[in-house]
Amino acid sequence: MRRARKIQVDHNSEFELDLAPLLAVMVKLVPVLLVSSAFVQMMVIETELPQVVNEAIQRQEDQKTPTNVALEVDPQAIRIVITEKGQEKVETIAMKDGVYDLQGLHNKLVDIKKAHPEVFKIELNPDGKVPYDVIVKIMDEARQARDAKVKFPVFDTKQGKNVETNYMFPEIVFANTMEG
Amino acid sequence: MSRRRRYEPKTKKNSTFGLNITSMTDMFTIMLVFLLQSYSTSEVQINPENDIRLPSSASMTNATESIKISLSGNALKLDQTKIADVKNADFLPQDLEDKDTNFIKPLFQELDKIAKAEDQKDKAHVKEGRILLQADKDLPYATLRKVMYTASMAGFPQLKLVTMVGE
Repeated sequence: MRRARKIQVDHNSEFELDLAPLLAVMVKLVPVLLVSSAFVQMMVIETELPQVVNEAIQRQEDQKTPTNVALEVDPQAIRIVITEKGQEKVETIAMKDGVYDLQGLHNKLVDIKKAHPEVFKIELNPDGKVPYDVIVKIMDEARQARDAKVKFPVFDTKQGKNVETNYMFPEIVFANTMEG
Repeated sequence: MSRRRRYEPKTKKNSTFGLNITSMTDMFTIMLVFLLQSYSTSEVQINPENDIRLPSSASMTNATESIKISLSGNALKLDQTKIADVKNADFLPQDLEDKDTNFIKPLFQELDKIAKAEDQKDKAHVKEGRILLQADKDLPYATLRKVMYTASMAGFPQLKLVTMVGE
């Protein structure tokens, strides 16, 4: 009987991997990605919100005498004006070391939101001299709670129960735009 | 006297040599990962203007198709086309309406033209009146308000402020 031929395998042999096709693919991919890369990330501030929050804003607008929260920003201080049942309450956040106390403003807004979870809209009335940068920072403080643990209840009509959100005042309206 | 023959190194004219491309592949892999990280998924490409320093914000909302307006310390531009001059953080008196100093005449004319143009008026962003505003962070609100007021008067009330991510 013939014996089966044993194939000899050299376990110590080295072989070179052909990287040329891989490199060819990469050379083509790199320019494509270079063109479509955004090295400066730019976003927008707008009021696109989850459906539950949108419905809550709608409910606030439907109220006959809704609680109104307005922010008046002038070069000296920020004033929060809360109008509830026709009564006006003003809280002033003074400047700290010549700059706006944004942390103080955020804490005050969190307290207001806790007291009025149904309010989602805020009116912004900046003075003409206030820089745009400051306005954007104030909008940031008002939109969402910084602390992820801080949540506010919103009634979801579909589920028929309260759900939690970290949105505070996502709908910001420049109330004095049309003033002369 | 016999002349010495010049030494000529032996070369194989038809020989090939193998280029080591492993290190180059390494470099390309690193580049690919870096570029994939910064790959933009936004449907709208916003080109930052040279003379505008955008404010930074925590907002992470991508831009949608809109009319693009940019406001720097020197000019007001609509889609890269200069429509009004800005000097000392304010518009020139000839560009403003006499009775209403918040009304920028060239901006209103251009936006009105877009709103009435046959090829533009049926587009969703024109119908809804969406505007993307890139403005310099040092400009005072009074200057921005004029742009907002005029855009609103021209039927573009949905203003979206372009900001940078992070500090």
